[in-house]
Parts: sequence; C-alpha cells; structure tokens
Amino acid sequence: MSGMPSREDTFPKLMARNAAIRGGRAAMRRKDLGIWQTWTWSEVDEIVRAYAQGLRELGLERGDTIAIVGSNRPKLYWSILAAQCLGAIPVPVYADSVAEEMAYVLEHAQVKLAAVEDQEQVDKVLSISDRLTGLTHVVYDWSRGLRDYDHTRLHAIDDVIEAGRAAFAKDPSARAALDASIAEGKGEDISIILYTSGTTGRSKGVMLSAERSIAAATDTVTFDKLDENDEVLAYLPLAWVGDHYLNFAQGLVAGFCMSCPESPETVQQDLCEIGPTFYFAPPRVYENLLTRVMIRMEDASAPKRKMFAYFIDVAKRWGEKILNGESVPFSGRMLYALGEVLIYGPLKNVLGFSRMRVGYTAGEAIGPELFSFYRSLGLNLKQLYGQTEAFLYVTAQPDGQIRADTVGPLAPNVEVRITDTGEVVFRSPGMFLGYFRDPERTAETMTPDGWVKTGDAGFFEPGSNHLKIIDRAKDVGRLATGALFPPKYVENKMKFYPNVKEVVAFGDKRDFVTCFVNIDMTAVGNWAERNNVSYASYQELAAHPQVYDMIAAHVEEVNRSLAAEPMMGGAQIKRFLILHKELDADDGELTRTQKVRRGFIAERYQPLIDALYSGAAEADISTEVTFEDGRKGVISARVKIRDCKIWPASREAAATEKAA
Amino acid sequence: MRAPGDGHGTTAGEVLLAVEGVSLSFGGVKAITDVSFDIRKGEIRAIIGPNGAGKTSMLNVINGFYHPQQGRIAFKGETRKRMRPYVAASQGIARTFQNVALFKGMSTIDNIMAGRTLKMKTGFFWQCLRHGPALNEEIEHRKFVEEIIDFLEIQAIRKMPVGKLPYGLQKRVELGRALAMQPDLLLLDEPMAGMNLEEKEDMSRFIIDVNNQYGTTIALIEHDMGVVMDLSDRVVVLEYGRKIADGTPAEVSADQKVIDAYLGVPH
Repeated sequence: MSGMPSREDTFPKLMARNAAIRGGRAAMRRKDLGIWQTWTWSEVDEIVRAYAQGLRELGLERGDTIAIVGSNRPKLYWSILAAQCLGAIPVPVYADSVAEEMAYVLEHAQVKLAAVEDQEQVDKVLSISDRLTGLTHVVYDWSRGLRDYDHTRLHAIDDVIEAGRAAFAKDPSARAALDASIAEGKGEDISIILYTSGTTGRSKGVMLSAERSIAAATDTVTFDKLDENDEVLAYLPLAWVGDHYLNFAQGLVAGFCMSCPESPETVQQDLCEIGPTFYFAPPRVYENLLTRVMIRMEDASAPKRKMFAYFIDVAKRWGEKILNGESVPFSGRMLYALGEVLIYGPLKNVLGFSRMRVGYTAGEAIGPELFSFYRSLGLNLKQLYGQTEAFLYVTAQPDGQIRADTVGPLAPNVEVRITDTGEVVFRSPGMFLGYFRDPERTAETMTPDGWVKTGDAGFFEPGSNHLKIIDRAKDVGRLATGALFPPKYVENKMKFYPNVKEVVAFGDKRDFVTCFVNIDMTAVGNWAERNNVSYASYQELAAHPQVYDMIAAHVEEVNRSLAAEPMMGGAQIKRFLILHKELDADDGELTRTQKVRRGFIAERYQPLIDALYSGAAEADISTEVTFEDGRKGVISARVKIRDCKIWPASREAAATEKAA
Repeated sequence: MRAPGDGHGTTAGEVLLAVEGVSLSFGGVKAITDVSFDIRKGEIRAIIGPNGAGKTSMLNVINGFYHPQQGRIAFKGETRKRMRPYVAASQGIARTFQNVALFKGMSTIDNIMAGRTLKMKTGFFWQCLRHGPALNEEIEHRKFVEEIIDFLEIQAIRKMPVGKLPYGLQKRVELGRALAMQPDLLLLDEPMAGMNLEEKEDMSRFIIDVNNQYGTTIALIEHDMGVVMDLSDRVVVLEYGRKIADGTPAEVSADQKVIDAYLGVPH
C-alpha cells in the first residue's frame, strides 16, 4: 500500500487504513432475514469505493452536498463514506422529520443527491422536489413498493454499487482516479454538516472538519480505552451528533464494529444479542428499562421477588463501592459475588448490558437513585456534557470520578471558561467551523477570540474540577438580593424524589424562592395505602397535612443541599404549596412533551403566587379545567401554604459567592 | 424469491377466475342467486355490499368451502368440480378470515410457517428426525418466511405468541400466513375490520405492495368505502345475494342502484 497516506486526516483514509491493518475484522453488522450478517473492513472498503464510483457517475463531485435520510442502516453509513471519498459533503437528516422540515434542510443545504432508506422517504423527497432545484438523483436502500416509480432519477443503492464495480472492471484507470480523489481529501475540508434538531427556531447546519472530528474522536477513544475489540449498537438517530460521533467517528478511529438494528422496533432484542461494550442512552431510556424490570418483578413468584429485593439491597450497599475501588468488607464482597451469579448477571444479560464496559448518559439531569441503581449492578455508567458545535464532548467523567450531580471534568484538550453572566463557553478539538450559510448566527455563537457559547449556565464545583450545568442561560434569573436563581436546577432537585411529580419554582426579581408542587399520585397513593391515610381524590390527598409534612421534609433536604453549594444558597425554597390539581397538557399548563409552561402557569395561578409572597397561610383559587371528553369545568380550592427552614449558606460556598 | 403466480402460463389481463351463474342456498335461505363475474390476473378486485349481501358466502364458494347448487366456477381456465378447500389451496388460492383465525399459542414464525405446509415435500419420517433433506427444506422455507416477515415489518414480534399481539398485528400475521402459500389468488375477508386509521393505512399499503411486488391477484371484501375506492381496480356489488353492479370504483359509486342499496330508497 504505497499510496497510503502517512497520517489519516479524513474518514475515507481511516477506512482504507482499517482495511489494510485489520481487513479481516468485523466492521459492521446488520440482522437480515433474522440472521446477523457481517461485513469486514476490507469488504466495507470495497463496497464504499464501488459506491463512490457509482455516485461519481451520477454526477456527485467535490464540494457537492448529499442528503442522507433514514434509520441506522449500513448502506446509509456507506453513503456517508462514499460521498466523503469524492470530497462531497454528507448532510444527514432526521428520518422522522415531516416533509416541511426536510424541505427546509435540503433546500438550505443545496443538496444535489439524496440517499434515502425506503419508499416513505422517497415519497417525502419527491413531494418537495419542486422546491429542490439542485436535486438531480435519489438513491434508495429498500425497494419495497418502489417498483412502479419512474426510475430516471431514482436508483437502488445496490444498482449504484454494481455500476461502480462494472466501471472498475471496464476501466482500470477509474480505480486509480478514485484513489487519487481519496488522497486529495484534506483534513481541513468540511467532512459533514449536521443540522441541529431545531428546538430553538430554525435548525442550523453545523459544519465539522475531518481533522477536527478525528482529533476529538481520537482523544475520547484513548480516554475510554476503546479498541478494535469493542462493539456498539447504532440505534440513535443517524442525523444526531451522538450517533455520528460515538459510533461512526469513534468506530473508524478505533476500528471497532458497529451493528445496526434489524428495525427500530427490535432494538431491545438486538441489544441483547449483540451485547455492546460501549453504550449510550439518554436518562429516559434507563428510566424506562428500570420501570420495565420492576413491573416484571412484581409478577414474579414470591421466592424470586424476595431474592431480587435482597440482592438489590446488597448491591445498593456495596455495588458502587466495589465499582469505585473503595474498601469493602470481605462478607460484602462475597454477598455481592453471589448476587452477581444469581441476580445481577442474568438481569444484565436480559438488558443487553452483559459486556458493557463503558456506558454514557447525557441530555438531561439523571436522578441520583436511577444512576446509582445501574452503577450498583456493576455497570460503568458515566455522564458527559456536549454539543453538536463541539462535535460532542465538552466534559466527561473518567473512571473512578463518577457523580450523579455533575457532568464531570473537562474532556481531554477541551478548555472551558465561565463568563461573567455565568454562561459556559468552550474551545475543543472537535469544535465546529461555523453554521452552513449562516454567518450571522455563527457570529452570535462564536466569540471573536474563538470560543463557542453553549447557551448553558454552569459552574465548576469548588474543591473538584467537575462542571455543573444548572440551566439554559436565558432561563437563569436573579433574586432581588442579587443571588442566582436557576429554576430548573431547583425543580430537578425536587423532582428526584419519587413523591414529587412536577415542580414550578418562582423567584426571578423577587425576595425569595417559592414553588408549586404536584405530588405523584402513584407514589403518594401507595404511601397513603400503607399508612392508612384515606382520601377520595387527588385534591384531598394533596391537601392532607401528612402529605404536606412529607413534602416539607423534601424541601428542607433540598434546601440543605442547595446551601452546601456555591452560589446556590440564595435559591433555597422558603415557601411552597401543593397544587389542588395536576398540571395537564390539556389545560395548556404543560407542553405536549410534558415540559412546564412557566409563563402560562404564573398567569393562571396569579392569586396563589401573590399569596406565596404576601405571607398568607392559605389562598383561594378557582381554575377552569378541561375534562377528557372535552367538557370544561371549574375546580375551586383553598390551598395551604407552608414555610420552610432556610439553611445558612456554607462558609466556602459563601466565600466563592463573594468571590464570584 | 419466485413471485407467486409466475410460471403458470397466464398473462396479464387474462381471466384468472370466472364465476358464472352461481347460486347457493342453505335450505330455504338463498344466499347467492345467479351471480356472474370474473377476476383478472394481477388486479385488485373488491366485493362489496350491505350486511348479509352474500359476500363472505361468495368467498367461501370461491375457495371451495361451499358448493354452489347451480353455476360454474373456472380457475385458471379449468372448470372446477366439487372439491375441498385444501384442493383450492394447493391450486393456489389463499385467504384470510373476517375474524382472525391464527394459532394463538404459536409464535408469529410458526404461524407463517404453517402457511408453507402444502409446499413441504419431505415425508413424515424425515420431518420427525429434522435431519438431512427435512432440515434443508426447513431452512429454505424459513428463508421465505423471513422474507415475508421483512416485507410486513413484523421483525419485532417474530417470536411472540400471536395471542398476545394487538389485533392489528394479528391481522398482519394472518396476511403473512396467506402470503407464505405463494398464492395466485389471495382472498381477504374484511382485512381492515376493527382497525384504527393508522392500522388501516398500513394494511392498505401492504395490500398494494403485495399486488405490486409479487403480482398477486387479490379479491377483497371490505366495508370501508374509502379504502375500497382507493385500492381496487374493479368492484362488484352484491345485494340480497344478487349482483347489482360491476365496474371501476368510479362507475360503481355513480350507480343509482348502489347508492340506493347503501343509503336506502326514500319511500
């Protein structure tokens, strides 16, 4: 391989390197007709080259963009690589985006070709094709239902690959030309454009260069000691930075095998069969898994239930300590080992975590209990904090420094600064080049001296180098005293108690913090049953003095932990009330994705807020509600208000507050 | 995969099944009276009509479950003698049922494999041993079944007992079992009864795809007029056991007799 570059600064070069040094090892798997099919690195290399040749014959050239639409399928990942071989720029698009959103991205990215999964995506692209003047051809992976379509501009990916192979066979110079095209690719070229999901306005095209992507991936591969023996299951959206980074980029750098699920519905089974060694999931997934395990345990026979409860208890006591390498008495180790054989091992096997060496979670705050549960089973679950603009990692927890309440110290070679306004800004190896065709918003996000604004407020925990993210910077308020008030941070701390379902905190430009609480009907109802507390409705249970006592105890604990943290001492909850009804999306109080609509609630419950700040012991409220059948009614109630104990801010916390 | 319907010497547009002057009665009850129509190869043919019009009886006559007292049925040009349903099945007619008729305790795979029974060639002895030719044959059939599973997107329920599945998925498995027979003519008895809108749309898509991909001729009974008008090439309308209209969806829906039959005649 004399033509091999000495240093691989693009993904196609990495692919060629992997084919050369580990050609016989598995690069990719997918279950087809119920049987796992494997492609080795040399096979992938051969297919991608032929595919690239085929795409070249369809007119794809250096600098052109090609949309990639669909779920995690090998041919779509090969489309990314094949485009990069030609120096074209792949633009992955979320498969579930509606035609309108897709039209915006495809139009904005000025795509020339589109590689899509199936008929559904072909239909979507064709329905907007009149707006995509630059679009010349569409290639698809799965032909079902497409037989009668007009195939002048539509091609099966298999046919494109075959055309490429035929061209190589006919004309030997074509292969050399493609090699030259791969060698011509430079590290500073744009390697991919990832569009943000667009939760805040129009989605933006984040341009990432090959050398920066590879530098970032090399750092984290070293950080987590990943190598060619690792295995991942690519089940997260292909267009999301997490999938592209964790599976695609790290896979090419480390040379490990990436498996694709058979279909989006079979992920759990596939996980179990593949047993990935590296795994990522948002907290919600871990929560659902735990709930499913618990529900199934309820249905198990009594001896099994007792055994499960006993050993989960053992795991709670010793599991995390063993994982962290702390000293544990011999009896504890023995019990834990027995538990591993009887409970933890089989449980991990069912969940597909048997071989998991490194697991990550990110995206939102994870409850400490949930986090500990998985760690106590011996799973090395860690947190990271990242962004598309950083090409993922900003911070990550190294083995042995795992905490539920921080996102960890800085990832290798990342620099972070906290601005005067409390916003986190960073510089990282994988940092983006700018937003595609949007210099205005690039300028908004990047400081002139090259730092990227995250839009998140956070701080470094004193005494450790761990970063804590508290809220979106624009949501963080200040009390009248000037103390920091991050509503979501306070609310999340409360919500980690199973008895608490929803919390809305107030305090911006006020003298102190107050909050509304929604109790969790299942958890509190269960408690009421066990303690012989009788009630007829949510409203009655919510107003019960013992329930108030329980929530007050939670608030005091939250206050104590806030007091111990720097800058958070002022955000302690002074007064709270339990709402007489559950917040409901039908009443407009929550969004359809169950997020609190703060402004709307503040308006609707104005009398209650007034009472919270007037010092009254109770307040009357009547609100209109929408019943499930659409009828409207009014609920009136007299809601009690409780005062809570405020703790003095801890000394070092107060000191940093002064310093800040 | 060999497309069902290939290699039988019939060409597109040719009549696959002809029903001529068929009458069927149960004692004094006349279910079908002198009905004639044909099903052409490669088309989607709908049979519609108000409740009790004789639609399901018609389907039962076609697949040999009932024997008409009068009239003649010709399948692939051959006039049919009195016969049993399994003969119809071996000739290439498969069906699904109005009420799901699957083996509830068996998995999706096993249910669809059951549709391959008529294609099994190795003897009982080999099957018992599950070795040699029997194993090879099973692998071949399993491959075909897996292709159907892929086609119908039911990979996730491959090994689940079908009794535990929601109704919409059971209907899909039943379609899968009928497809496993590689039928020349597929009879669907109310494939969308009791489904919600999304399930109906999915099922419509599968019916069109089966017809398109495998070239399978389909005759279906359906109550949802929107579905019928969208899916079918030609529609035959029955009322009180008699044929009152026959033609394209547009022709049929403009027919005064059909409108009267569905909406009632003002008195």
